Amino acid sequence: MATNRALKGRIRSVNNTRKITRTMELVATSKLKRAQDRVTAARPFAQALSEVIADLVTPDLAAEFPLLRTWPKPAAGGPGRAVVVLITSNRGLAGGFNANLIKEAKRRIDALSAEGYTVELIGIGKKGVGFFKYIGRTFRSERSDIGDKPTPEHAASVMDELITEFAAAKIGVVEVVQSKFISVLNSPPTTVRVLPVAMPAKAKGGMRPDYLLAPDAGTLLEALLPLYVRNMLYRALVETVAAEQAARRTAMKNATDNAGDLLEALKRRYNRQRQAQITQEIAELVGGAAALQG
Amino acid sequence: MRVTVISPESAVFDGEAESVVAPAFDGELGILANHAPLMTVLGSGMLRVKSGGVTRKFQVRGGFLQVIKNSVRVLAEHVQADPGTAK
Repeated sequence: MATNRALKGRIRSVNNTRKITRTMELVATSKLKRAQDRVTAARPFAQALSEVIADLVTPDLAAEFPLLRTWPKPAAGGPGRAVVVLITSNRGLAGGFNANLIKEAKRRIDALSAEGYTVELIGIGKKGVGFFKYIGRTFRSERSDIGDKPTPEHAASVMDELITEFAAAKIGVVEVVQSKFISVLNSPPTTVRVLPVAMPAKAKGGMRPDYLLAPDAGTLLEALLPLYVRNMLYRALVETVAAEQAARRTAMKNATDNAGDLLEALKRRYNRQRQAQITQEIAELVGGAAALQG
Repeated sequence: MRVTVISPESAVFDGEAESVVAPAFDGELGILANHAPLMTVLGSGMLRVKSGGVTRKFQVRGGFLQVIKNSVRVLAEHVQADPGTAK
C-alpha cells in the first residue's frame, strides 16, 4: 500500500523535528541557568547603589542635578526628542518573546509621539531591528553585537551619549523596553523610564546616618548617578537575556511535546494499516487455498 | 568588621577583615574596625583587604566606598581580582 510508505516518511520527519526541538530545549535550559545566575549576581550592586543614592539625595540637591530634573514637555518648550531603547534577542524560535517586546515598544512610541516628542529608536538585538526596518522606521543606532553575555561596558557604550544629551536638555525622556525577569514562567515586557532618574525609594526611617562625606554629597551624586543609570540598562540587558532563554525553553518544550503526540498518532495509524494489510493477505491466502481444495 | 566588594556583575568578596586600604579619589584611604560612618568616591587603583594574615588585592575603578555600623561596602564599576592575591 502506497500510503503506508508515506506514513513511514512522515514518522521519520516528525521524529527528526522532535530531536531538534528537544536539543534546543536542553540548550536553552542550560543557558537559562547561567543567565539566571547573572541576574541574581547583579542584584547586590543595584541594591546598594540605590540605597546610597536615596541616602544622599535631598530635595535641594535634586533640583540641581540635570539627571534628576524632569524637562518640560515639548508643548511647554522642553526638548523635543525622546529615545526608546528596545531590547530584543538576536535569535528567534522563542515563542511570543520578541513579538511582545515589539508590541510594547510600538505602544510606547505612540504614547511618546502623542505627547509631542520626536521618538528616536535604538535597537539592541536583530529581531527588533529587523521588524522596525521592515515597517520602514529608521534607527538612531542599532546593535546586534550584544549577545548572550551582556557586560557593563555594553550598557555604558549605549547609555553614555544619552546621558550627555539628556544633561544638555537635548533629549526629554529615555525609556528602555525590556523583559522583566520575575520568574522563569513570568517575564512580561515592561518599559522602564531611565531618564529622568526616578529616585529610588528612601529606606524606612528616612534618617540618613551621620556620614563623613568626602568630598561632599553633590560631588558624590555626580559620580554615582551615571553609574546608576548605566546599571539600569545593564540589568535590563541581563534580565532580557534570561527572559529570552526562558521563553525559548517553554516554546521548545511545547514543540517537543506536540511532536511527541503527533508521532504517537502517526505510529498508531501506521501499525493499524500494516496489520490490516497482513490480515487481508492471510484472508486472500486462505481463500485461495480453500478454492484449490474445493 | 564585615567587608563586601561588589561589581555590577557580582559580589566579588564578602567576609570578615581586619583592615581595608582603598584608593579614594584623593589618595589612599585606610580603614580599620569601628571606623566612623564614611562615604567617599573611589578613584582607580589597588584595593587591599586584609583578613587573618591574607591580603586580597583587587584592581578597582570608579564607584564608592561606604562605612556604616562597622561594615565596609565597596562598590566599583570595574573590579578585577589581582592574580597575585594570597600572601
